Amino acid sequence: MPADRTNSPGATAAPSDSPPGGKEAWRTEEIVVAVRDLTRKFGHFTAVDSLNFTIKRGEIIGFLGPNGAGKTTTIKMLTGLLRPTSGEVTILGYDLRRDIRQIKKHIGYMSQKFSLYPLLTARENVEFFAGISGLPPAKIKQIKQELASLIPPALLRLKVADLPPGIRQKVALFTCLLTDPEIIFLDEPTSGVDPELRRSFWSLIYELKTRGKTLLVSTHNLDEAEYADRLLIIHQGKIILEGPPEELLQRTGAPNMEELFKQAIISHETS
Amino acid sequence: MKRLKAVIIKEFKHILRDPRSLAVVFIMPLVQILIFGHVLSFDLKKIETIIIDYDETSLSRELAQRLAASPYYELYSSPKENPAAWKDLHRAEQLLRSGKIKQFIIIPASFARNFNHNPPAPLGMTIDGSDSNIANRIYQYNERILTEFSLKKSDFPNPIQVNIKMFFNPEISSPYFIIPGLVAVLMVMISALLTSLSIAREKEAGSIHLLFISPLSSAEIILGKTIPYLVVALLDGTIIFLFARFWFGVPFRGSLTILFLFSLIYLICGLSLGILISTVAATQKVAMMVALLATLLPSLFLSGFIFPLESLSPILQSFSYIVPATYFLRIIRGVTLKGATLSHFIFEGSILGLMSLFLLTVASLKFQSMRRSGQ
Repeated sequence: MPADRTNSPGATAAPSDSPPGGKEAWRTEEIVVAVRDLTRKFGHFTAVDSLNFTIKRGEIIGFLGPNGAGKTTTIKMLTGLLRPTSGEVTILGYDLRRDIRQIKKHIGYMSQKFSLYPLLTARENVEFFAGISGLPPAKIKQIKQELASLIPPALLRLKVADLPPGIRQKVALFTCLLTDPEIIFLDEPTSGVDPELRRSFWSLIYELKTRGKTLLVSTHNLDEAEYADRLLIIHQGKIILEGPPEELLQRTGAPNMEELFKQAIISHETS
Repeated sequence: MKRLKAVIIKEFKHILRDPRSLAVVFIMPLVQILIFGHVLSFDLKKIETIIIDYDETSLSRELAQRLAASPYYELYSSPKENPAAWKDLHRAEQLLRSGKIKQFIIIPASFARNFNHNPPAPLGMTIDGSDSNIANRIYQYNERILTEFSLKKSDFPNPIQVNIKMFFNPEISSPYFIIPGLVAVLMVMISALLTSLSIAREKEAGSIHLLFISPLSSAEIILGKTIPYLVVALLDGTIIFLFARFWFGVPFRGSLTILFLFSLIYLICGLSLGILISTVAATQKVAMMVALLATLLPSLFLSGFIFPLESLSPILQSFSYIVPATYFLRIIRGVTLKGATLSHFIFEGSILGLMSLFLLTVASLKFQSMRRSGQ
């Protein structure tokens, strides 16, 4: 089973407090996402080329790569939005092909392209998404109260299109969490947002981690890379480097993330 | 049901907040019924006419003069032929066939005597019916002049009995046939346009993925996106109908309830067609174009609106059976003009209902397969 399958030694590292190279440590941890030879072709173009990786419970995965590397395509396949050309995906023990309905109950997804209806207010968006998720009225009421404490009351009546980007993003994450998912896929949640907001957004992500959530966060901003527990660097549809940020820096001897990233891409393209 | 409700509420808010779709909803049908209504029933001037007076009394001459004096008519004249003393019926027929004149009016011998002492006095009218709109207008003008003349000259209620002969198109339709037909065309067009945007909009925005990933069933999404527009479409249908009734003066002889009931089914059919188009089309623009083409052209040409179905080739005729307007046209003409009742149109109503069911099912299945493949 994919549960004990991993291709790179870098994948062994656990959150910061576990000892480096603690191979035995992760074996006991639950693997919640297992991806094996995942491939997606569009005609002759291979957008995602036999990816192999696993994600453990409680991990924050930084899914790093330049635009067009295959990040969104991968996330769409993992969330059941796009059918893989080949390969296997197991999420929480469910097979993606067979049990997508079960999987959908446990995952959250925040899209890069669209997360909220711009013509509706934050509250209406939340109501809508809670409604289509089939949440009971009492729960919806409670959620609305939570929302009201999350953003200033004056902004509650504004259309999402008129909200400041930082707030919009918070609301988007909030809606993505309505069903209390265990695994959360965030596709470039911080694109088009200034560095300060990015930092505060990442503190929200950490908070989710402390609540036991597992997250996969894609980005093309290198300065975000070090926030992740573990990085998957993807380029031209392939994972070219994998491991915790500090370990990768150590291993390659690169002075910073940018250099590390450059080297990885160059060595991939020349090989 | 609760999830369906969430979709319906959201869709309503979107309709109300998107000024573009509001414009489509309310301005477009008005503009169209005014433009089409007037284009299809325009006023004619200088209709080439021949009056053949066999009676040659002062009364008959006066009638001839009155007709000739109308701004709508112009007496046919040629260097050799004197319009005032036209006698050659055969020649008049030839001229009508060749299109040189649009009508000839025959005042028979003893017209004056019958008019005064033995009404009604017969009067012959032969009109070029190849263009039914024009023929209708001519007939109306004639009637107007004759009525005025009769009121002035006679104390009898109907002193003239008109015998009309329509050349080339004997089953001429009344102008009142045009406007109800137009109502049918516009109703299906508007309703299809309304829903055609709804799913395509979510595709363009990318929000479709959030619907895909939600626990909503495909049927719930399709229904949730169709139902709110039914309210809008009904409002629209009412506006169009009120214009037909009061602006164009179409008589209404039937029951409003029955018309409403059938309109409801017909609008659902249009909305279902639109939602199917929206499911297939990639962008709002494409969806709008397809919705326009798929409703306007068949409803105009293949429904019996402009051309009688009998005049279509067998292939086109068989196409007419899948055009919703074909069925609703019969219903609305029947209800408005003839006062027909529910039982007359069970068949048409059922067909429209089945069509809606079919379209909605196909849309749901199509949506479902899109959802699976992620396209």
